[in-house]
Amino acid sequence: MTDPLLSIRDLHVQFNTDEGTVRAVDGVSFDVARGETVCVVGESGSGKTVACESITKLIPMPPGEIAGGEILFDGEDLTETSEKRLEDIRGGRIAHVFQNPQSALNPVYPVGAQIVEAIRLHRDVSKEAARDRAIDLLDRVGIPEATARIDDYPHEFSGGMKQRVVIAMALAADPDLLIADEPTTALDVTIQAQILRLLRDLQDEFGMSIVFVTHDLGVVAEIADRVVVMYSGKVMETGPVYDVFEQPSHPYTKALLGCLPGQGKSMEPIGGTLPDPKNPPAGCRFHPRCPHATADCRTGDHPEPLDVGTDHEAACVYYGPGYDASVIQSDAVSESTATDGGSEGGTPADASESGGDDR
Amino acid sequence: MSMHWYVARRVAWAVIATYLILSITFGLLAVAPGDGQTAFAFKAATQGGDVDEAQETFDEITGRDEPLLTRYKNYMVNMATLNWGWSFTRNQPVLDAIAQAYPYSLMYAVPATLISIIAGYAIGLYSATHQYTLTDYFGTFTAFFGISIPNFWFGIMLILVFAVDLGWLPSYYQTGRGVWTVANAKQLILPIIVLSTGAIAGNMRYSRAEALEYVHADFVKTARAKGADDWRVLVRHIFRPALVPLMTILVADILGLLFAGAYITEVVFQIPGLGLLSYKAIIQQDTALVMATTLIPVFIAIIGNLVQDIAYTVLDPRISYGDR
Repeated sequence: MTDPLLSIRDLHVQFNTDEGTVRAVDGVSFDVARGETVCVVGESGSGKTVACESITKLIPMPPGEIAGGEILFDGEDLTETSEKRLEDIRGGRIAHVFQNPQSALNPVYPVGAQIVEAIRLHRDVSKEAARDRAIDLLDRVGIPEATARIDDYPHEFSGGMKQRVVIAMALAADPDLLIADEPTTALDVTIQAQILRLLRDLQDEFGMSIVFVTHDLGVVAEIADRVVVMYSGKVMETGPVYDVFEQPSHPYTKALLGCLPGQGKSMEPIGGTLPDPKNPPAGCRFHPRCPHATADCRTGDHPEPLDVGTDHEAACVYYGPGYDASVIQSDAVSESTATDGGSEGGTPADASESGGDDR
Repeated sequence: MSMHWYVARRVAWAVIATYLILSITFGLLAVAPGDGQTAFAFKAATQGGDVDEAQETFDEITGRDEPLLTRYKNYMVNMATLNWGWSFTRNQPVLDAIAQAYPYSLMYAVPATLISIIAGYAIGLYSATHQYTLTDYFGTFTAFFGISIPNFWFGIMLILVFAVDLGWLPSYYQTGRGVWTVANAKQLILPIIVLSTGAIAGNMRYSRAEALEYVHADFVKTARAKGADDWRVLVRHIFRPALVPLMTILVADILGLLFAGAYITEVVFQIPGLGLLSYKAIIQQDTALVMATTLIPVFIAIIGNLVQDIAYTVLDPRISYGDR
């Protein structure tokens, strides 16, 4: 993990509203290595989208504000970079794919013109050359008869096809990092699986890194190399996907996995709701909903991330001195015995079926 | 269905609408009393002529003694051949009177319209992209001021301040000065200000509201994520889609130039344009002139609708012209 492509260090993003300051991202750190896929997982409102849109300052500013921290992209701190330079990076080196393909394309221009725009913003090529490349890209993302469809308008495409167009547009300038914010959430499951496969294939072909924002653990199992679990603007746990699914270390991650169907036992919803982002609880953000919360969890700052394995960290006091981590782990042990036989070591695969149901 | 067929059908509808309006106008005139006859007779009486004779002469000139169907046919032919009647208050053909008044209206209406479109859209787009900032509040407040203030009052106030108190500008319009002279420009300043304030405010509010629809649209975020700069995002990704609904107002504004009868402005500043012409025609019951000055805006409205319908299909690819 030396020299990561993207390194977010203690990022704070807040929105200054009339009702008070919303600390949407409150000290988030994670790395993305070259060619790696990192999934940022969390409930709605956990700050995952804000964190990802802050990378290239796509959040509306004001009211948004990057209140602290660093975003190192290829060694350059993007929080300090000029707007002019950011315009080169956006689309040129860091591309975005958003959640809703229905509204991500401008309705008054043909899709080809929108891809050509993306190409010509970053490459000094003629209109004809850009058009040829746009046809190639459409073809590459699986639009049948790309030459004929390049002059069609967005409303003449289906949702899945639109998302392919958006992906083609994101690839226009051959970016190093693709930030995909719930790109499959608005699509039905068979299309979801196709899009996930497409992204995986494109990653192999173009060698880019992917930050994939989702709340769908099935999708995580399908595509992630590493996972970042966010809750209430904080990172709860990070680690390789296999370790996080196999040995969830933070009580929140465990609870999140408990919500997944198809584990051989009944689904267990997490009680309570997300804390108020304007007035988060002291101590661990998750303590009001945590079954293992102690007095230490309720005071002071959010716990520091602590090593729980190789490249695997959890922000929970139980991994600190004076605590017995097996209190939380024992839960996991009893769980794995409960599911034993059926899906030993196969949690990610299970999850992938529940979410992907591909082909 | 092809676009040509759509346009052809819209044009056909416009022709039918025009025909219906002309027929209804004819019907109203046929049943209306007077038709200038009384005024004509009164005029004859004051000049010492015979009233009955004058009435008969009038009927003869205007063809009122013909059968209804013949009159209808003649009326339609006259309308089609631009033979729109005689203005007895001005002793000249109606269309000549309009042609003489027209340049005076254009002199202030063209600059006022251009200013109101450019300034209105610029302020509106700025306000939309800087929503809830101090400049947005200032712009919105100014717009409300501009819309709320009555033109006749505003015009009189400007005359009081800049013509009467300060003496910088003339208080009313005087003909006989060359079009491109400083004196003419100076006497046009106040009418232009009066006419454009309200229009700027209207354009500003419409463009702000329409642009706001798109400022936070996903595709605008996509455009920014592509690396487009603010100006490009504003023009290509906010203004261009907003132009579809704004077209309605834009077409109306530009066509308004063709018949720029700003009644109140012209009356207050005594500009001998179409507004004042029409106003005087109504006061003096010059029926032919009144009819001409009211029919022209009606025709412009029909043409305007036609242009709007065609503009929509050109601007918005989602509008199909198949089933209408």
